[in-house]
Amino acid sequence: MIYLLDLMLIALTAALINNFVLYYFVGICPFVGVSRKVEMAFGMGLAVTFVISIAAFISWSITTMVLIPGAPLSSFIAGFFLPEESAAAIDLTILSYIVYIFAIASSVQFVEMYVRKFFPQLYSSFGVFLPLITTNCAILFACLTIMSHVVGVENPQDAWDLGRAITLAFFGGIGFTIAIVIMSGIREELELCDIPEPFQDAAITLIIGGILAIAFMGFTGVDSGIREALIP
Amino acid sequence: MITTTLAIAAGTMLVMAVVLSFILGWANKKFKVEIDPKIEAVIDILPGVNCGGCGYLGCSDYAVAIVTDNDPVNKCTVGGEACARGLADIMGVEVGEMVKLFAVVNCGAHTSDRLKTHEYRGEKRCASAHLVAGVQGCTFGCLGFGDCVRACHYDAMHIVDGLATVDFNNCIGCGACSKVCPRSIITITGFMADKIPTVTCSNKDKAKDAKAVCKTACVGCKACTKLSDLFSITNNLSTYDHAAYTEEHYETALKAIEKCPTNCIHFIGKSLGK
Repeated sequence: MIYLLDLMLIALTAALINNFVLYYFVGICPFVGVSRKVEMAFGMGLAVTFVISIAAFISWSITTMVLIPGAPLSSFIAGFFLPEESAAAIDLTILSYIVYIFAIASSVQFVEMYVRKFFPQLYSSFGVFLPLITTNCAILFACLTIMSHVVGVENPQDAWDLGRAITLAFFGGIGFTIAIVIMSGIREELELCDIPEPFQDAAITLIIGGILAIAFMGFTGVDSGIREALIP
Repeated sequence: MITTTLAIAAGTMLVMAVVLSFILGWANKKFKVEIDPKIEAVIDILPGVNCGGCGYLGCSDYAVAIVTDNDPVNKCTVGGEACARGLADIMGVEVGEMVKLFAVVNCGAHTSDRLKTHEYRGEKRCASAHLVAGVQGCTFGCLGFGDCVRACHYDAMHIVDGLATVDFNNCIGCGACSKVCPRSIITITGFMADKIPTVTCSNKDKAKDAKAVCKTACVGCKACTKLSDLFSITNNLSTYDHAAYTEEHYETALKAIEKCPTNCIHFIGKSLGK
């Protein structure tokens, strides 16, 4: 029960309270670049959600299996060459960034092939933006957040399991979709407005992004309030 | 210790690379999309400017239409005849008739010709000015805020003294300007010669009303129709049948231009030749 509640809180936090785009300001490039039309923004949001979940799965598995000190796979292999104690102390977390980028790039490539084969319409409407998900910092950010909850946790029971990791990533993607769809709705209305010349295009978009972020600040503290109320 | 760590780190990267490349290689085969080699050959020949003049979103869409739907090969105005020949070679069909297309602005009123102009304080765009009655007296003519200039990617459209003017040396006939013009006064016209006569007016009002708002409005006096069969009057507005124009009609068109009481017939086209 407490585990389910924890998952719910992680989901709520990732999607609304600590929204990737509007709280941490990661993934701004697609947020500004693909938010011209609601349908495209929604498609981009779904693609990011999908990729972010796959990337979280891969990166969590590799982190717990190989990278952290005492990980089963690396200490098993090291056990052939080293005494048990030093084998368990092998720390490969320096590899984390490069491994995550590796995982993200290949899952984007995979998604691109899949979409191209089965959803050619969606593929042509994405155009260049699908490969650009590779360089979307929101995804790397999700991987690194998951890593920070796995590596260097004092109490081993507090380390995140796969369920928590994927919940964070998936609902982080949902939060990204919410943010980009709200943004594109506003921008569609904005097309009809008389904007002073210095503020046109990207400038007004960033200003609106800032105002949206202020609005989302209203959620701050909701998560700790719920946690205090429900978990003794 | 350090060597083992390094070895395992290198091994991890290696194994990941091998596994992921296997998965991607498998996916590449499994999800392969068969592309007709003809389509790629067609894309290579098309100019690749993605102007949309053929009616498709871009050159690759047109290439697909040519190969799969047997679309005519002469729709690309940018590539012109050479491009159409190349496409015909690939597809094994005959080239249709090639006519050079240009944008033609069917309005000739510069600022001084407009008799009832008013101050407009809204957004400086034709699309919004068109919604407001009485920005200028004529409800058919060019508004002069340059929506077409912004739409043109080829520097072929300029506002000269309050009137959208085509630079025929740069125009490729893609039709981007005619799509954005809220008054639909820009038409994409096939030029049978370097210069063709045309009626630079779109005003369909009766002579009295048209004259009240513009110095160079067509009043539907039928002077031009008496000189040449290619002029015809509908809704108080003279139009010229550009498709039937040949060099023979040059003299009669010249006479019609002299005869026109409001000077609304002009020769347009590239500044060289006739």
